[in-house]
Amino acid sequence: MAQHISPTAAFGAALAVFFSLSCSLQVIAADFSRDIQPLLAKRCFACHGPDTQEAGLRFDTAASATAELDSGYQAIVPGDVDASEILSRVTSSDLDLQMPPEGARLTADEVSALRGWIDDGAQWKEHWAFRSLVRPNVQEHSVGSSAGEINPIDVFIQAGLAEHSLPVPPKADRRALLRRATYNVTGLPPSEQEVQDFVADTSPHAWEQVVDRLLASPHYGEQWARHWLDLVRYADTNSYERDGNKPHSWRYRDYVIRSFNDDKPFDDFVIEQLAGDEIPEPTAESLIATGYYRLGIWDDEPADKLQHRYDQLDDVVATTAKTFLAMTVDCARCHDHKIDPILQRDYYSLLAFFQNITPMGDRQMNPDFIEQPLPKGEMTPAEAKDIARDRNRRLQEARGEVKAIKQRIKEHGEQARDELTKKDLKAWHEKVRQLEQEKAQMAAALVVTEYGTTAPDTFVLYRGNPHAETSPELLVEPAFPSVLKAATPTIEPPENGRSTGRRLALAKWIVSAENPLTARVLANRIWQYHFGRGIVRSPSNFGFAGDPPTHPELLDWMATELLRQGWQLKGLQKTILMSAAYQAASTPNQEAYAQDSRNESFWRFDMRRLSAEELRDSVHIVSGAFNPKMFGPGTFPSIPKEVLATQSKPGQGWGNSSPEEQARRSVYVHVKRSLITPILADFDLADTDTTCPVRFVTTQPTQALGMMNSEFMQQQSKVFAQRIAGEAGGPDMADTKSCVRRAIEVALVREPTDDEVQHGLALINELETTEGISPGRSLELYCLFLLNLNEFAYLD
Amino acid sequence: MSTNDSKPRGSFCGNTRREFFWEAGGSFAGLALSGLLDGNFFANQTHAADGVTGYQNPLAAKLPMFAPKAKSVIFLFMYGGPSHVDTFDYKPALYPLDGKIIKVKTKGRGGERSESRAVGPKWKFKQYGECGKWVSDLFPHIGQHVDDIAFIHSMTADSPIHGSAMLQMNSGKIQSGAPCLGSWVNYGLGSVNENLPGFMVMLDKKGGPISGAKNWASGYMPATYQATLLRSQGDPILNLAPPDDMPLAAQRALLNSLQQSNSEHFLSRGDNSELAARIASYELAWRMQEHAPEAVDLSQETVETKKLYGLDQDRTSHFGRQCLLARRMVERGVRFVQVYSGGAHNDDNWDAHGDLEKNHAFHAGNTDRPIAGLLADLKRSGLLDETLVIWGGEFGRQPTAEYAKGTGRDHNSFGFTMWMAGGGVKGGISVGETDELGAAAIAPGPGHGNGEKAGYHVKSLHATVLHLLGLDPNRLSYFFGGLDQKLVGVEHVQPIKELLG
Repeated sequence: MAQHISPTAAFGAALAVFFSLSCSLQVIAADFSRDIQPLLAKRCFACHGPDTQEAGLRFDTAASATAELDSGYQAIVPGDVDASEILSRVTSSDLDLQMPPEGARLTADEVSALRGWIDDGAQWKEHWAFRSLVRPNVQEHSVGSSAGEINPIDVFIQAGLAEHSLPVPPKADRRALLRRATYNVTGLPPSEQEVQDFVADTSPHAWEQVVDRLLASPHYGEQWARHWLDLVRYADTNSYERDGNKPHSWRYRDYVIRSFNDDKPFDDFVIEQLAGDEIPEPTAESLIATGYYRLGIWDDEPADKLQHRYDQLDDVVATTAKTFLAMTVDCARCHDHKIDPILQRDYYSLLAFFQNITPMGDRQMNPDFIEQPLPKGEMTPAEAKDIARDRNRRLQEARGEVKAIKQRIKEHGEQARDELTKKDLKAWHEKVRQLEQEKAQMAAALVVTEYGTTAPDTFVLYRGNPHAETSPELLVEPAFPSVLKAATPTIEPPENGRSTGRRLALAKWIVSAENPLTARVLANRIWQYHFGRGIVRSPSNFGFAGDPPTHPELLDWMATELLRQGWQLKGLQKTILMSAAYQAASTPNQEAYAQDSRNESFWRFDMRRLSAEELRDSVHIVSGAFNPKMFGPGTFPSIPKEVLATQSKPGQGWGNSSPEEQARRSVYVHVKRSLITPILADFDLADTDTTCPVRFVTTQPTQALGMMNSEFMQQQSKVFAQRIAGEAGGPDMADTKSCVRRAIEVALVREPTDDEVQHGLALINELETTEGISPGRSLELYCLFLLNLNEFAYLD
Repeated sequence: MSTNDSKPRGSFCGNTRREFFWEAGGSFAGLALSGLLDGNFFANQTHAADGVTGYQNPLAAKLPMFAPKAKSVIFLFMYGGPSHVDTFDYKPALYPLDGKIIKVKTKGRGGERSESRAVGPKWKFKQYGECGKWVSDLFPHIGQHVDDIAFIHSMTADSPIHGSAMLQMNSGKIQSGAPCLGSWVNYGLGSVNENLPGFMVMLDKKGGPISGAKNWASGYMPATYQATLLRSQGDPILNLAPPDDMPLAAQRALLNSLQQSNSEHFLSRGDNSELAARIASYELAWRMQEHAPEAVDLSQETVETKKLYGLDQDRTSHFGRQCLLARRMVERGVRFVQVYSGGAHNDDNWDAHGDLEKNHAFHAGNTDRPIAGLLADLKRSGLLDETLVIWGGEFGRQPTAEYAKGTGRDHNSFGFTMWMAGGGVKGGISVGETDELGAAAIAPGPGHGNGEKAGYHVKSLHATVLHLLGLDPNRLSYFFGGLDQKLVGVEHVQPIKELLG
């Protein structure tokens, strides 16, 4: 056995290298958008902001922040640090005077930024996110080499690195890069062949060919759809007491996968989801897309129906504003936004676009409201709907007859059970069965519908209370958030007379050139899902309290690039994947770390853990059980009975899928809100009750317990071991050494080192000789060991 | 209050060792690293003060905001909604009305009504303790402890429907998706025992409550703060025991190998604290495997103690075992333990729509001795002083019948009773009241966290729990969705002052 450094010593040595650094602090001039506005918003606006102005002071506009107050003080006197009351308050040690009155004091850096900014004249700038979108000049930002030869992304990234005197990072090695990109683009590991080919390919176009191949993979849609599904709170059930199934919800999931694979222009994607029923010629696909509205939680037995109605509308307002605009409009439901320039009136004006939407139902889901039979052949959606409506009516009738006959028998006893009645009952039963079968065979979608062409009035509700009294001056019309200074929406009901046309007006504005947010928000999300964090770290909050962009020009360049490419994603994604920034190594650099430990400048590529789905799918790939079948109704992985026992009716709403079905990609796992598949829940699956822009990455001992002891991992390591025994020459012929080699190749998709093989043999030997484990079992445990490695779970 | 774990053991430019470690990677990795990195390893290290906000281990013990009265909570959840007028809220005026149609506003599963048939309380009440508290014959054993108990008779909730009312009692909101009380407590205080989860839930043998895991989820907070299910039989925690064909010694060999390989992998990635955290998590898992079985091993308890909890009788043994486990958990530093009485649907829990007498006699009979035993045991060991025990369901029941026949009562969220004991709560007192029929809370008046309405809203109860634990309910916040979210909501909510000792 080769020599090994003791774990703790290795650990220590590694840390010692990276942390034996002196304290240093880089001083950069205060920037209003980056340093001042977020500070004022987070620490001052609660009492001195758009909604509340204690002592008559508000910090959200220049005029109000610099005005003389009733007390005679001036909070901010541009250019005069000593006269600015704010500075004496944030530094005061007097408990009665100091600001903010609660929470931590401002840090020395924050105070110094504030001082610097006031000293420089306290310039206010329009909030970066609301400025109109202008394509930055790449030339202006280029450092060194001429801009034409360098990927525009690197122009911005390298300018940032130069500004902070940070070195351009080295390139990642080819295997690490391929593994990173393959997971990133498809959610799956590269195959051994793909690694070998790429490592051996010396042509200058090798990387570009990989990028093209990955973006063309059908698995791309599965991976990128998953991100979108997090944002739109996708689940297959309603939560609450019954947590009932949403009919046909999986078609929405498939729609998203197909849209990404087809590189559907994002403007179409938005319009279809928000108003696929209101466009001039709705298609099956555009109707399926409107399932967007039906994915959230729904209480079929609300304590207060009107309250629940508005909670449902709030879910749509919140999800829509955050997902497409990164605006936390829902914070203005009860009062003007505490931090952002969003009025309560804006909230209700946005809600008005959705006011005419039908609810999911009342106690029972209403198929008339949420179910759209998918047209076949020449049929229009409206005709398909009529056919289905007629069938539903007949079904209801038939069920009613059955019930009535049964009731008659119950009331009149056995004498009512004559031959005629029996025959009658049988006939109606048959009718019900037939209609149910017809219904089950009908392809249908979960959709949104409205009550008709006119919507009820929408009022600003005092403190968000739906029971509050309304009055004419509280009446609002559909309107876009006022801070964006958009024109009044033009609303025309579609010809079919089924809806108001309001949602189409909203959707069109969201993707219109006059709205600067959508493209920025999308560009940021694309970057986030490639790099692990957005240029704006708060991807669904571009407001004052959100994180300012670390690379504002890059963000705007990407946003305009999306528009230039007709809202298609893959072109920009290719540019990103081709950039040096994306291909950078993840290796540490102690000086860079000392200066920028959060990697604000992208002085390296950040490592990341596999997501819950990637981890589970990888286990299936490695074991060989993986089933690449795409699309269709959700699958049901086996859930241990202890977990099913937590339900009020154990097993209810959970099906049995064959092992082959269970080994499909995790994006196809049925999402039951109250019963999440354990390995996915353990590894921080998105909570589906609200839109999820960034997943947590937690590290907990219960994850380790699951990775070692769970039925799933134990069983998959057995399948993996069988595979290895077969591939390494058959269970009888295979010698342990070739099994170990093969297992490493399969799990880690690389050549094993001699040390590793020795290490593996030593473990197997120890298990067999010291612990009395049988040879077959020892290989299974070795396979389990490989699946637990940090190298398996993390990407460089 | 033990807060030793949060004291700095080494300092790096003013940061504690842990703060330093968490900010090093700039990511949200969730556990303490003491296992692998204890000792003097960091003593000679320094760290650049780069002005980056520290990411703290979310589960490291944290200092409360002010001196706490309670260290941990045992919430005995009477799922389904026990009838207050048949248990602790004595209504002499209701007996003579039995069977009469009376005018009273109610709202329950069956909708709103303005008149219904009264159902007189089905049990006699008698006075207990020095305080002379009236308690029904359903709870002769709990009756012995009334001098340690503070009753809240004017509880109100927003929903008389199980699904949303359960969510509200557990998470403050009738909407699904918010973190539970136990999550907030662990978020605010962390855990003092790294070998056990900080938030544990035990279910009735009949099954889980409706909405299952939503009742102990961490909602928009990371999974670090969700509850772990604890079972009194079989494997106490999911995946805790390795399968038979992976004996502990073999697993240890595997773990040693894993640690070695992971450490080598870490060698060239030494500034990634997540990797270090994951290495440590396997050692913590190992220790959890070792400690959790000990924590649930009741053979260490005396025959007398077991009897005290009712383990000697079939009907009380299940809930008794849960209560005894709850004590063992808080003894070991678990912050928040929730024990369900009642599971599944209908009469498998306290949801007495049909035959109230049968239903309540059954559930009270299963729980009376165990709960009394828990209070007695906590008291004699001194643990009651720092353990807050809460009893109650998601709502109460109406003074009137739901159906034309029978004693069943519909849900009532206009007024119901909960009680607390220990953990800094005054004993032998009752606060708030319902009207003479028990239909709705009438006092105290406005301004108790329930807008203009009478009574103590669920929010007031939550505020009281946080307050007793040393957390200001109006300051304990979590930034999510553009807003500082609080368990008690946006409006300020005061703890129930009369209860505080």
